Order: sequence, then structure tokens, then C-alpha cells
Amino acid sequence: MIAVEDLTKIYGTRAALDHVSFEVPEREIFGFVGPNGAGKTTTLRILAALLAPTQGRAFIGGADVTKDRDKVHSRIGYMPDFFGVYDQLTVGEYLDFYAACYQLPKQRRQKIVDDLLALIGLSERKGQLVDTLSRGLKQRACLARALVHDPAVLLLDEPASGLDPRARVEMREILKELRGMGKTIIISSHILPELTELCTMIGIIDHGRMRATGPVAEVIARLTSGRRLRIKVRGPKEEAAAILAPLPSIQNVEVTDSHIEAEFKGDEAAVSEILLALTTAGVQVTSFSEIEGGLEDAFLKATSEEVG
Amino acid sequence: MNAFSRALWNPIVAKEYRSRMRTWRSPLAMTIYIVLLGGLGWAVFAAISNNGAGFGLPSSGGNYGQILFTFLILFQVALLAFITPALTAGAISGERERQTIDLLFVTRIPPFSIIWGKLLSSMSFVVLLLLLSIPIFSLVFLFGGIELDQVLYAFLVTGVTALMLGLVGIAFSTLFRRTLAATVASYGAAFVLVVGTPVYGLLFPTDVNPSATTLPAPPAIAILSPVLPLLTIATNQSIQGYGVRYPGGGFATSTGSCVVQSGSTACVPVGAIPGKGAPVNVSGISNSTTTIPSGLFSGWQYWQASVVMQLVICAFALALSAFVLPPVRRLRLRGRPKPALAAE
Repeated sequence: MIAVEDLTKIYGTRAALDHVSFEVPEREIFGFVGPNGAGKTTTLRILAALLAPTQGRAFIGGADVTKDRDKVHSRIGYMPDFFGVYDQLTVGEYLDFYAACYQLPKQRRQKIVDDLLALIGLSERKGQLVDTLSRGLKQRACLARALVHDPAVLLLDEPASGLDPRARVEMREILKELRGMGKTIIISSHILPELTELCTMIGIIDHGRMRATGPVAEVIARLTSGRRLRIKVRGPKEEAAAILAPLPSIQNVEVTDSHIEAEFKGDEAAVSEILLALTTAGVQVTSFSEIEGGLEDAFLKATSEEVG
Repeated sequence: MNAFSRALWNPIVAKEYRSRMRTWRSPLAMTIYIVLLGGLGWAVFAAISNNGAGFGLPSSGGNYGQILFTFLILFQVALLAFITPALTAGAISGERERQTIDLLFVTRIPPFSIIWGKLLSSMSFVVLLLLLSIPIFSLVFLFGGIELDQVLYAFLVTGVTALMLGLVGIAFSTLFRRTLAATVASYGAAFVLVVGTPVYGLLFPTDVNPSATTLPAPPAIAILSPVLPLLTIATNQSIQGYGVRYPGGGFATSTGSCVVQSGSTACVPVGAIPGKGAPVNVSGISNSTTTIPSGLFSGWQYWQASVVMQLVICAFALALSAFVLPPVRRLRLRGRPKPALAAE
């Protein structure tokens, strides 16, 4: 549904995007992760045909963003990282205005606006001035605006930025619902834990270069160098650490006040061997678990060093 | 809805109407406009009824009407020169500052329609002000001395001037990212176009060729301003002694030309060359004293020349705005920067 090929954008002498390529199949939620200034917004603006790339191509449903801008605009719903609301317009009028800008017939607009307000839970605010809404509700109104012409693709630039935890959860639920409706979504964020749960695919970008891209689990597995185990035992931890250290699947054993941590490289059989070695030696194991690294670790790693 | 109706009533227009008319600023602006125009009308009427001779004219109803009309129409242009840039200078830059311009660009509404919608809504307000001023202008007919066609021509010139200032405002609003900069530039341009061009005519008048067979006319650029055309419409005669310079420091009048020599002034009738005495045949010039006797717009009415020049500026400003506004331009002024080398 979305294809980005060798995209490069240069401002003066600085490359905001440096030969970025990725693909997002239909009905996927692609999390675009990177620190500020990494090139997320530039990529999304190019995909929204708001910016011309210096080099490379990008396609939305087969339509070239530099050549078929009308097709691209009819297929995308773009939500920038700011609200973009007008004063003196009610929520209903705000959505109706954009529906009219998409040249939807007047007879259909009223129903579309009502349906969208119901979807995002703003029906009771239809008559309120959009500028007077809270930050979270404004964000929802902006999402409704992006959906007004029923686009197949949603480009969401930091939609959870500045929202309180409750509003973030609500936004996440709406996005899940939209995915269920068959939308393909690109969502950029630097709030990583949210994307872990929401996204099916992920792309990590830093300094304009794509560090890693693919299914979330795959990217995390590729980027995290080994897994870490946390083991709690009754009795002297040093003895247990001495048993662990010689094992071939274990490296860098650390003893803390409460538990033992160790890097682990191996399969499930190696895990059972570690547990067996400890219990055979008479160590009373009270807890044996893997420390979840998740996206945060993958992100930090990807943005701090080159990924091979 | 056909293309014409869509252009005339695009969503921007409806949205702008709603936004503009829901604030207290619009009724306030209309009230101030009417109060100022009415106040000036009353002041002029009071002055000429007390001392008509103070205006250098005999006291008669016709002259009262002409004087009142002249003051009102010039003051109206001055008011619109203040109001119109304020209406349009923030049209596009305001969308940028509110960060709503990208949201419009990703819709199916073309950039030209955005400009057109902004222009139409701003000009609608100007038309509303012009309509509101009609009752005040109708007072002129109580005194007489002004025909309906003079009022229509004067309103046409005023309307086109507002359109020109509006489009110049939109062009600056498109060029500048900040409304403040666009507003300053728009007022600067309005001052140059309305006041600066007549001043240019004063400072750099047309040098009269003594051997010419036609009467001299002010520089064409000086007629761009609505001031001269409105004065010629209101007074039904050309502006005497403006914009031309005779060898020896003479000046032109509506009926001829005069040369100041050794403290005395010698005048010759229309069609005569100062200093030569005998009248010459001036062919192709209308008998009307409000036509331009020579130059680029020879034979045109002053208001016609002004309207045409203003419309040319309108077209240029519109084309410039339409070229600059789109986020991705098909035509580029500069070559693309070369792509960087691949990641090291």
C-alpha cells in the first residue's frame, strides 16, 4: 500500500533524509520511531505530497506522490503534529468545511460528520467551538478531520504528543478500531511503549537514515544483542552466580542485592539447562524470568550505533 | 454545481464568512466606517453651507454637491486603503501561522481556489462597506451637480482600487510567512500605489515638447492612483497644472497652458503652443476635458486608464500568488540541490 524507495531530502547541505526505503503492506500499522529531527515529519510530508523529495520515489496505493498528487490526496488522511484548528467554527462546521474541501456532496456531508463524531466520541461536542476544546479532544477532532473522506491510508505525525495518559489510551483505542476498519496507518512517535502494543510493523529512523524496519518482534530481536535473565534464589547469590558463569549460554553475570542478572544467548533448551544446573547444585530458585527489553532498548540501541 | 459556481462559492468563502461575521470586529469596522464617512460628509456640508466661498466656489447647490462628493469619494478610497490590506494581508500567512495551510493542501481544493476564496470573502466585505456607504453618497443628489454615471464610475474606480490593494495584500501574504511582515509590506504598497504615484507625477512631471501638436498629459504612472481619476470624475474636468512641466516653468490648465515669465503669466488656449501664439489643430482628442490628451493612454478617460493599470497589477499579483502558494511547484526558480552521497 505504501512504498518508499531511496528517498532523499536535502536542505542546503544537510540531508534530512538519506536514501530511506521501506514498505507498508495493506492493513498494517507502521510505527515510525526516531528522536526529534530524525526525519519522521519530512518523510510523512513527502508521503502527503506536501514536500518534493530531492531524490527517490514514494507511492501510496501505486500513485506517485510527486506525479499523482490528486490521487494521493484522495487516498490519504494526514494529521500533522499540530492541531490546525480555526477559531469561530464549531466542531461540526470544522468537519463539514473539510468535507466540502474534499468535494463531498452537501447531502452526504451531514451524515459523514455525525458518523465521524460518533466514532471518535465527540457527538455531544458538535456545537462547541473547536478552538475551545481540550487538547485531547482537539486531537480527536483533527483525527476525525483526517478521516472525513474515508481514506485508505492514515499518516499520523505524533498523534499522542502532549496528551495525558488517559487521552493517549483513548487515541490508541481509536487507532485500533481504525485498523479494524481496514485502514493502513503510519504513525510516528517518540513515545515508544505505545507503539509496541499498537503497531504491527516498525521502522527506526535516525539522522535521516533508516536503521531498521520490519515486523515489531523481528526488529526487536534483531536489535537486542542477546536476552537478559533475572534469577532470584534463596541463600548465597554468589554461589549461584559461580554455577552460572561457566555455562556456555551465559555471559556477564551480575549479582545485585536482590537478584542475579546475566546475558543469555541460546534457545529454549539452553534455558532449561541453566535451570537444571542450578537445581542440581542445590540452589533454591524462587524466580527465573527474562527481562523484557522491548522497543525502548531497540530504539536506544539503533539510535546510538550503526546497525549492521 | 458547475465549475463557475464552485469557484464563486468554494468552501473557503463560506468558512471565512462564518469566521468573520461571528466576531465583534466586523460590525465594529462597519460602524466606524459609516461614522467616519458620515461624519466627514456632515463636516463638509456644515463648512460649505456656512462658507461656500471658502472652497473657492460660488455658493450654489450644484457646487455643494460636487464638493461633498469629491470629499466623500476621496475619503472612501482612503478608508478602503486602510481597511483592505488588513483584510487580506493575513489571508495566507494567517493560515501558515495557525498551521492550517497544510491541511488545506492535502484536500482536493486547488491552491488557486484557496487564493480565490480568500479574495472573494475579503472583497465581499469591501462590497458590503461600499453598499453601506450608498445612503451617505445619496445625500449628494439632494444638492445636484453630480450625475448618476459619475457616481457609478467613481464606485467602479474605488472598487477596482480595493481589489488591487486586496490582491497585493494576498500576494504579500503568500510571499511572507508572517502576517506582520505581510501587513507592513501591504500598507507600504498601498501607500506607494495610492499616494506615491501622484507624488511621482508632481516630482517627475512630463516635459512638454514645444513642437508637439497635442496637449501634454501627466506621466501614465501618476494616473494609476485612484486619486486623479476620482478628482476628474467628481469635478468633471482635468486637474489643472498637474504632472506637466513646460520649458520656462509653465503649467497646463483645462483650457490651455500658461507660462510664467518675469513675474507675469501668459496663457494660450487649448491647442496652442505656449510661446508660439497660434492655435494648432489637435486631432483625435475628445472634446471632454476628462480625457487624457496625449501619451500612452491618449484619448482615454482618466478613470479608464487607471482601472486598466490597476487590473494589470491585479493580474500580476494573482499570478504571483498562484505561483508561490503551492507547496510543491511544478516550475522551479532554482535548480534542485544535488543529492548527498549515500550513508557512509
